[in-house]
Amino acid sequence: MNAETIFHVDHLDLFYGDKQALKQIKMDIKRNKITALIGPSGCGKSTFLRCLNRMNDLVDGCKVSGTIELDGNDIHSTQMNVVDLRTKVGMVFQKANPFPMSIYDNIAYGPRCQGIKSKKILDEIVEQSLTKAALWEEVKDRLQESAFGLSGGQQQRLCIARAIAMEPEVILMDEPTSALDPISTSKIEEMAMELKKDYTIIIVTHNMQQAARVSDETAFFLMGEMVEFDETKKIFQQPSDKRTEDYITGRFG
Amino acid sequence: MMQVNAAVKKKRKIKDACLNAITYLSSGLGAFILIAIFVFIFSKGFSSLGFDLLKGNYWSNNYLVSVEESYNQAGNYQAPADLNEGAAFSSKWGIAFVDAQDQNKDNVILIEYVDEASPFARLLDDSIKDKQVTLSAESGFQVERISYQDENGITYTAGNIMSQNAKELCEALDQADVIEQAYFKTPGGGIRGSILSTLYLILVSLLIALPLGIAAAIYLHEYAKQNKVTALIRSAIDMLTGVPSIIFGLMGVTVLFPVTQLFGATTTNILLGAFTMAVILLPTIIRSTEEALIVVPKSMRDASLSLGANQSQTIFKVVLPCAIPGILTGVMLSIGRVIGESAALIYTMGTYVNDAPHLLSQGTSLAVHIYNIMSSEQPNFELASAISIVILIFVLILNITVKLLSKKLNKAWY
Repeated sequence: MNAETIFHVDHLDLFYGDKQALKQIKMDIKRNKITALIGPSGCGKSTFLRCLNRMNDLVDGCKVSGTIELDGNDIHSTQMNVVDLRTKVGMVFQKANPFPMSIYDNIAYGPRCQGIKSKKILDEIVEQSLTKAALWEEVKDRLQESAFGLSGGQQQRLCIARAIAMEPEVILMDEPTSALDPISTSKIEEMAMELKKDYTIIIVTHNMQQAARVSDETAFFLMGEMVEFDETKKIFQQPSDKRTEDYITGRFG
Repeated sequence: MMQVNAAVKKKRKIKDACLNAITYLSSGLGAFILIAIFVFIFSKGFSSLGFDLLKGNYWSNNYLVSVEESYNQAGNYQAPADLNEGAAFSSKWGIAFVDAQDQNKDNVILIEYVDEASPFARLLDDSIKDKQVTLSAESGFQVERISYQDENGITYTAGNIMSQNAKELCEALDQADVIEQAYFKTPGGGIRGSILSTLYLILVSLLIALPLGIAAAIYLHEYAKQNKVTALIRSAIDMLTGVPSIIFGLMGVTVLFPVTQLFGATTTNILLGAFTMAVILLPTIIRSTEEALIVVPKSMRDASLSLGANQSQTIFKVVLPCAIPGILTGVMLSIGRVIGESAALIYTMGTYVNDAPHLLSQGTSLAVHIYNIMSSEQPNFELASAISIVILIFVLILNITVKLLSKKLNKAWY
């Protein structure tokens, strides 16, 4: 394991009750890169993503075994508080889910939960996060209005800004553009390319072109197994596994 | 194309029409019953409804009085310019009477006006023997009886008990030389005390039941593991909803009364009623809060938790605010329940209508007030209907307020 690696995953098994959803996953995710997870529906890529910030803890009957290390620390160890983990590993969901609050309060929610009360600091965090998410210019005059007044694409960027406000190391994105139109999608893709300077991004996507466009590395999942994990270029041009080739050429899935 | 027999087609059409008609009739019946109740109650009670009813005392004050001796003589008084046209003025005694009806629809004579210099402005209270208390007759007093002597010293009696009207009473007084004794009383029959008691009851029972109920719902839905124990608690709460309120009343008077004694209660009291109502309301509030929590999308919880908020921050900052409209519905149902409750309150608050209720005194809610009126020696259906109107209007206003409020809360963010 070297300094480039942020997540080290080894022998990861996950069960929902009796059903095994992930089988012996082994993966090293690199810092300040965009890693795409692709695969057909139900292959376990979202489940894997949710393991990385332990959101699966909330699912009844879900059992995880194996190692996941963030910067060399086991995220399941007793020293690692799940709340601390989630401040380091932020998440953006498939469907934009802003809180029923104002735009400002949405961004300030995370920092406030950590006990930041100073208006000055919060103002700064809100502006910086919205700027990074390329939303500041559009909303700076209506920060106190409801977040539900924004368009779908804006709402999703707000959710990204909300995750950025926590200054995480990693941002997990679970099909963040699947419900958006092409223009909003390309905005978010551009933003992701920009964000990888400061953050590590792991993105689950159904859209193969998207994976090819934005990611540096790609992992292909099938039936709970990780079939192949390599540089995106290599995966899309000369996949080493037959199943990967079948999937990306559209023969199934 | 499949050939369908014309007879079969017709039969199907008739069957369809019948089923439709049944649904129309059933829903129409519901609306009809509601309208019928309103029409019935309003036609019976509307004439008794008035501002005096709402702000008046329930108990009458009785005054047995005589005129101070030095003033007990006729004079010559001027009727005031703005005296009501229907009023009869006695220029000899400086007092005006008017005809009216009391709450039992009986004819009564009311005092309309008393001259400042009139003998009736200088009365001694005869019911208090050892102390001289002076008072003045006031407009609004019912004139039950006035006994007087004429020039020959013969005693006559006039007033309500002689079934006179205002004019006849005036004419009788014109014959009088000396007033011997008079018996006045204030109308009474008002419901101000019961309105106050009801408000106390609603306020205190909600203050107790809301925090407890919301906390219990949060525990059951957010913190507790969904296992046999929570299932047991949940079905126990459901069964509590079905327990007849009279049993809660018995429980209140035996179990909760000692608690109110700690606050200094000596009789059944409004606080005890409120405690008992809080117990009755708990299942309703727990259930409606839980329903409201279930509706809050999982994505809200996920978003909050993924931002490093812990569970209680998630619940109190995100989930609970989303659930407020549902909780308000529970509050509305609860207030309706408090207003409608009578069985449990008869045990815990008594049936004594109290004109000046406080938390540790007896009192009646409006529903118990109706029970009180209808179970007295002379049931007064009109008055009961008038109180029913007050209750119905109160519930209606409540309904509309809560609807508007939850609509506004919804609109603010969604």
